Amino acid sequence: MKEAEQKTTHFGYKTVAANEKAAHVADVFHSVAAKYDLMNDLLSFGIHRLWKRVTIASSGARKGQTILDLAGGTGDLTAKFSQLVGDTGRVILGDINDSMLKVGRDKLRDRGLVSNIEYVQMNAEELPFPDNSIDVITIAFGLRNVTDQSKALASMYRVLKPGGRLLVLEFSKPEHEVLTKLYDIYSFNILPKVGQVVLNDSESYKYLAESIRMHPDQETLEGMMKDVGFEQTSYQNMSGGIVALHRGFKF
Amino acid sequence: MLGHFAIAAIETLANRLISLAPQVQARLAKVQGQSLVVHVRDWQQFISVVYASEGLMLQVHDAQPEYSDCFISADTDTLMKLKEPSRLTQLIRQHKLDIDGDIHLAQAFSQAFSELDIDWPEHWSQYIGDAPAQLLWQAVSQGKARALEAQGKLDHILLTLLQDELKVSIHPLELTQFTRQNRQLKSDVQQLEQRLDKLLAQMPMQQTRG
Repeated sequence: MKEAEQKTTHFGYKTVAANEKAAHVADVFHSVAAKYDLMNDLLSFGIHRLWKRVTIASSGARKGQTILDLAGGTGDLTAKFSQLVGDTGRVILGDINDSMLKVGRDKLRDRGLVSNIEYVQMNAEELPFPDNSIDVITIAFGLRNVTDQSKALASMYRVLKPGGRLLVLEFSKPEHEVLTKLYDIYSFNILPKVGQVVLNDSESYKYLAESIRMHPDQETLEGMMKDVGFEQTSYQNMSGGIVALHRGFKF
Repeated sequence: MLGHFAIAAIETLANRLISLAPQVQARLAKVQGQSLVVHVRDWQQFISVVYASEGLMLQVHDAQPEYSDCFISADTDTLMKLKEPSRLTQLIRQHKLDIDGDIHLAQAFSQAFSELDIDWPEHWSQYIGDAPAQLLWQAVSQGKARALEAQGKLDHILLTLLQDELKVSIHPLELTQFTRQNRQLKSDVQQLEQRLDKLLAQMPMQQTRG
């Protein structure tokens, strides 16, 4: 009984068995995959594109590198990285959810981006790559869905090459109280309604709002990165802290 | 974030222009995948430029990226002068320009855009038909010519005003001549004064005699 209590985690505001969270998250993303890009544009007013631009600018990606776009979803970052690393490099689009991977693969292939991209269904906690094999890892709006985030960060640290860097783009804690209140009103009242209208699914967007509140704040996440070995860690708040880009290096 | 927004808008515009000019695509294909980083000194920003399979990729950085095939550091005025390769040496000697890496990469980007020649009537005709597109192009061309003419006149007026303004301050030669003439006048006045004194001195004597 005690062991069973220890192996629980949060799924939004609910507490679920740790080994069931991945399945719950999978259900959410199976539901939203088809209109994921549209919903991102609608709900963030297109600003998610700027957040991703900042991530790419911070990545230092260049010709010949191997880049892992974890929880890469529909491949926004992968598309840009694919062009930056060129034919001599490679980009691995990894996601635990096969629906998201399929949408991403179809989208990138339609754009003619085929030569240097691999698609791998993977769990961020158990990355299927050798030690010291990846130059840059990005995980954009994916870490909060991972069951054991510290284990995932440790796995990322393991596969990064010395000198490699991890970029975590994730919703975070707004810096100002007024913004927090406005953001709460938006998240809990408008987000689920838009989800209901566009996808006939308000629950997935209720989970989105709840999972953001349960995600570690900026300082805590930076601490978690340090704990697994990352050095020169830093974070950059964007849009008043609604989103933060964390960066850490392996030396 | 504003810098990223601005650079995203510029990237979209540049890629739209490139898509309308096949000759630019051909020129840029030679430098595909190579990274040019421009440090704009007066903005304190680093802008990286890469031409890739989907077009131009521009990124703005707060610090110098670790890697680039060509790095240029200059202020905006100097960057505008880079179209003239003959001035490069002079600008470097004046410490207005720093270059590290393959300068031909920067020149390739500069040349590609400076020779941008888009067949606008051809593109517009897809939306509004041949004849209206041609008429629109003629109107735009005439408007552009008039604008250039007006600008030329304005430049001339400004130049004239500035030259007239310059005449307000005295040229050194004019000052020398004025000083010389002033001295001469002073000397003449002194002589006249002496003569007058002399004449006045003679007057009582004539009165006494009378």
